[in-house]
Amino acid sequence: MESSSSASAAQEFDYLFKLLLIGDSGVGKSSLLLSFTSNTFEDLSPTIGVDFKVKYVTLGGKKLKLAIWDTAGQERFRTLTSSYYRGAQGIIMVYDVTRRETFTNLSDIWAKEIDLYSTNQDCIKMLVGNKVDKESERVVSKKEGINFAREYGCLFIECSAKTRTNVEQCFEELVLKILETPSLLAEGSAGVKKNIFKQKPPETDASTSGCC
Amino acid sequence: MASTSNSQSSIQDDDDQEEEIEHFDDFTLASSWERFISEIEAVCRQWLATGPKNLVKKDAVCLDFSKNIYKVRSELKYAMKNYSMEYYFEPFNDGKVADWISTSHDLQQSFGVKDFLVIAPQSASGVVLDAPEASKLLSAVSIAMSNSSSLWPAFVPVHDPSRRAYIGIQNMGTIFTRRFEADRIGSQVPIKLMHLEGLYELFVSKFAYSTVDLSMHLFKVHFRMKLTYRTLPTDDDPEVQQESEFLESGGHSEFETHNKIQWDDDCPWSEWYSAEDPVKGLELLAIWSERTVDSSLDMAELENASPLEADKWFIFPNLSPHLESSDGSTIGFASQLRLLVNALDSSLGAQFMEDFVSAVENSGSDNMKSSAVIPPPTVLDRVLKDLFHEDAEVKLDFADAENKNSRAIKGAPLESLFAQFCLHALWFGNCNIRAIAVLWIEFVREIRWCWEESQPLPRMPTNGTVDLSTCLIYQKLHMLAICIEKKHQENKEHPDVGDKKTSPYIEGKAQITKQSSSLLEVTEDSSGERDSLTARNDLGSHGVATSLSNSEQQNFASPTDTKLSEYIRMGSAGVVGSTMLLNSCQQMHAPFTQDPPLMTEDMHEERLKAVEAFGDSFSFSAQLEKEILSSDMSAFKAANPDAVFEDFIRWHSPRDWENDDNGELAVSQAKAGEVSKNEWPPRGRLSERMSDHGSSWRKIWNEAPSLPAFKQKPLLDPNREGEKVLHYLETMRPHQLLEQMVCTAFRAAADTLNRTAFGGLKLMTSKLGQLCLTMASTLKSLQRNSLSVDSEIIEDLTRLCVIFEHVEKLLTVAASLHRKFLQAPRLSEAIFSDFYNFYLPKMGTGSGSHDIDKSQEFTKKQQIMAREKEVVASMFTPPTANQSWRKVLSLGNLLNGHEPILREIIFSKRDHVSGGYYAGSYAGGYPQEIETYRMYLCGTSNDLRVALAVASCD
Repeated sequence: MESSSSASAAQEFDYLFKLLLIGDSGVGKSSLLLSFTSNTFEDLSPTIGVDFKVKYVTLGGKKLKLAIWDTAGQERFRTLTSSYYRGAQGIIMVYDVTRRETFTNLSDIWAKEIDLYSTNQDCIKMLVGNKVDKESERVVSKKEGINFAREYGCLFIECSAKTRTNVEQCFEELVLKILETPSLLAEGSAGVKKNIFKQKPPETDASTSGCC
Repeated sequence: MASTSNSQSSIQDDDDQEEEIEHFDDFTLASSWERFISEIEAVCRQWLATGPKNLVKKDAVCLDFSKNIYKVRSELKYAMKNYSMEYYFEPFNDGKVADWISTSHDLQQSFGVKDFLVIAPQSASGVVLDAPEASKLLSAVSIAMSNSSSLWPAFVPVHDPSRRAYIGIQNMGTIFTRRFEADRIGSQVPIKLMHLEGLYELFVSKFAYSTVDLSMHLFKVHFRMKLTYRTLPTDDDPEVQQESEFLESGGHSEFETHNKIQWDDDCPWSEWYSAEDPVKGLELLAIWSERTVDSSLDMAELENASPLEADKWFIFPNLSPHLESSDGSTIGFASQLRLLVNALDSSLGAQFMEDFVSAVENSGSDNMKSSAVIPPPTVLDRVLKDLFHEDAEVKLDFADAENKNSRAIKGAPLESLFAQFCLHALWFGNCNIRAIAVLWIEFVREIRWCWEESQPLPRMPTNGTVDLSTCLIYQKLHMLAICIEKKHQENKEHPDVGDKKTSPYIEGKAQITKQSSSLLEVTEDSSGERDSLTARNDLGSHGVATSLSNSEQQNFASPTDTKLSEYIRMGSAGVVGSTMLLNSCQQMHAPFTQDPPLMTEDMHEERLKAVEAFGDSFSFSAQLEKEILSSDMSAFKAANPDAVFEDFIRWHSPRDWENDDNGELAVSQAKAGEVSKNEWPPRGRLSERMSDHGSSWRKIWNEAPSLPAFKQKPLLDPNREGEKVLHYLETMRPHQLLEQMVCTAFRAAADTLNRTAFGGLKLMTSKLGQLCLTMASTLKSLQRNSLSVDSEIIEDLTRLCVIFEHVEKLLTVAASLHRKFLQAPRLSEAIFSDFYNFYLPKMGTGSGSHDIDKSQEFTKKQQIMAREKEVVASMFTPPTANQSWRKVLSLGNLLNGHEPILREIIFSKRDHVSGGYYAGSYAGGYPQEIETYRMYLCGTSNDLRVALAVASCD
């Protein structure tokens, strides 16, 4: 994944994708985002509400603009974060491999939030187990993660924001999957670039949904 | 070629030399008649050789009324006249002669044949008029047939076309020949022939030598009968009347004084329009299968039999011819949606909705004026009254009324104010852009009035969060409804706070103290419910409640630890389990907090744009969330005057507090509470990330004043936000409005149809589901607010209207069948599924594939089971005096006073060839029985068709 500096504003891009990070407080969502966007790791103070970063990458020959929304895990902010689910092409569910409850909360809380608020039927979900650098403290096994991912039909990866293990791959895999999904692709391109990428509006869906 | 062999042999001697040239047929000496015969023969041979299946592939055409019968045609010439010869055949039927259920050709029924030829002159009437010509033609065919050893019967039309008279002949192997004759009495059927006895005698007279002793002889005659009944039309012509009224009332849907009860009065769409009943009536076939009749007495008995005694019953609906046409002549949601799409198209260029209204005075473009009728003010008043002043008990429980899929369409929920507006707009005038503009402007004016007067918006919820999956106008109206509610509460000041207000508060408090865990866990427990937000929201609304009753509130606030509260505690929602504050030996109180501010979609988008404009500078954090956090902190400070930052974190983000005792994060609050009771102060520290002194959290904490939620500046300023909503509504671009109207109207129309009772027919349910999906994907292109609409989208929408029309038609059929067969659901399901399969290919893809044979009629019949007979019979309600006065009942077998509209009878007589009349003349002895006489009678009370087939040996 070739990344270009995000400083220069208003770059050319082919597709704009909106990604969303969710998960319990303190699982390392912001660190993961920071690790991805600026290749650094810091102990960040807890996110207040929502954070937002843009990163330009080139993947599969396409110039992409990724708008990544990082939400706060705290209960109090959850009512507001509900709105960030809308229109997201990718949702990343993060848990901390050293804290079991962050894993169980994914199915108890976060997966339900997605069902409730995500407006995009086809949106790609990804399960990310963070903090694998603390291997000695690990309590959630990789197998459990895989099983969960299979059950919810999402991608799965384990990574460490601190050592930057698998961080790039995590986002890369998700974006590639979005690029493979025509309806998401159409959404991503439909914005500013509509006239250039004259795509058939998602009419193909109509015909495949078997219809009239 | 046998026929030519005669002529050939006569000239053979002369042609000896030419014998070398093979297959040289010289016809020069043959008569024209002989040539004609050989021509017929050649054609027949060719058809025989090709075989029916190959003919179908080549040039055979399928007959309109039946899929099974095909015909091929050939043209012949004889004596300056052109003849056409047609071969009718059933390529996929190897079995017997068609039964009485499936549709078959007239001649097949009349004579009990399967494949046959018809030869007719190519004249205007297509009928051979003079008798010698007919018999000459027939014998020509007969010779040709026997030459080509074909067993096809051949028919020649005779007499006047209206008599449908035929004569015909058929070779039956080597010995027998069948002769056919058919004729019709068009009027004044003799009384005798109206009754079964008379018909029986007619048949017998064909083979009995003396009519005198008819009654003495016992002829074994086989008899079959089919009676067709049809339900009487309920009204004379309801549609015509209705339509005229429709026009008079300025196109409005509510017909003021419509005394007549429409069939669809209780269907959900009847609020908007009345559909023509697609099932005009029912036709019932009662069939008596073959029985032997000995005398005319038996016949008299049969004539008195009730149709309920018939062996088999079949039913099929008479469908309205409008079902077939897709020219948009049918009035329904689909037709109006099409108009709305047109309105969208014409809205594209305009700046303001007002432009369309002012065009009235300017009388600018003529073409616009002619079609764009604006209904009179009375109609406008009525619509607005319906929208704003109808009884307020409209339930706002939108969720269950809708198809699950319709949530994917960005519109307003059914029954909500904007959805209702859109449905009204469909029927306002002819849904042209000017009528819409007039209605919209008045609509917004009315909303402005509600806002100024702090009157609640009708059909809108005043609580909850803004649902971003709905259209922006709905979100805005929801926001406005909430603002009005808040403003209303503010205006009320604190009049009669007392009992009413405190009761929920106590409840809320009890709920919290009951559980010995943190507030967070309380809400997480309840997250099994629809969402975990509710707990928060409840809390928030209690906060509001408290704000109104703050005078009492302090008394209520701390009944458990009044002795400890030396400071003024404000805005407490109750203690948090047994958690103690760090620096003072006091229980921690959870504060009432403000509701999170509401945001509509465009506000979110604004934020996004603002963030993007800032660039993703590292320190970005949402201002709004900071405000909320600060508000929470203030409230917490007020509720716990002695609290420190760490206490707040323990309540608000418990994971950022690390408890010393177990060295782990304080996950188990119950345990933590236990500990803190025994040892105070509880030992622990903030998590590393929170303890950082640069932490923005601590910064906000330090800056937050101690203020209970009710004294804080509200996160949502109802005056400001409400005014913004109205500004939005008043300055909307026409195309933005129309786009949202299109989405909402489609969704509301589909949801309305979806409420129809149609007995849960599976096919219909799945079709409706499909419609929703198709709509969702087509309308998606409209849902991005900023996009301009191009012609491609309009085309897609027009196509969607066609699809919608098909589904709407199917639904009216389903609903009509359902209510007709309430007592026999199996029948309604079976008939609907037949119709569905018949209709489906006609639906095409909505792209105008009109060439699919439209002429086909729906004729599939369903057999009625014995136990359903009564139900069906009861649908033939006895005719009223009014309906029966002009009819003189003349046929028997009445069904609840209905006489059959058609009576078909087949008499037949079979003989063993060896033992019958023919035994003498024929020595071989065929073992089998052949039908020697067959008579088909088809008649109503004023016409009668007779067809006779006689097999003889000559």
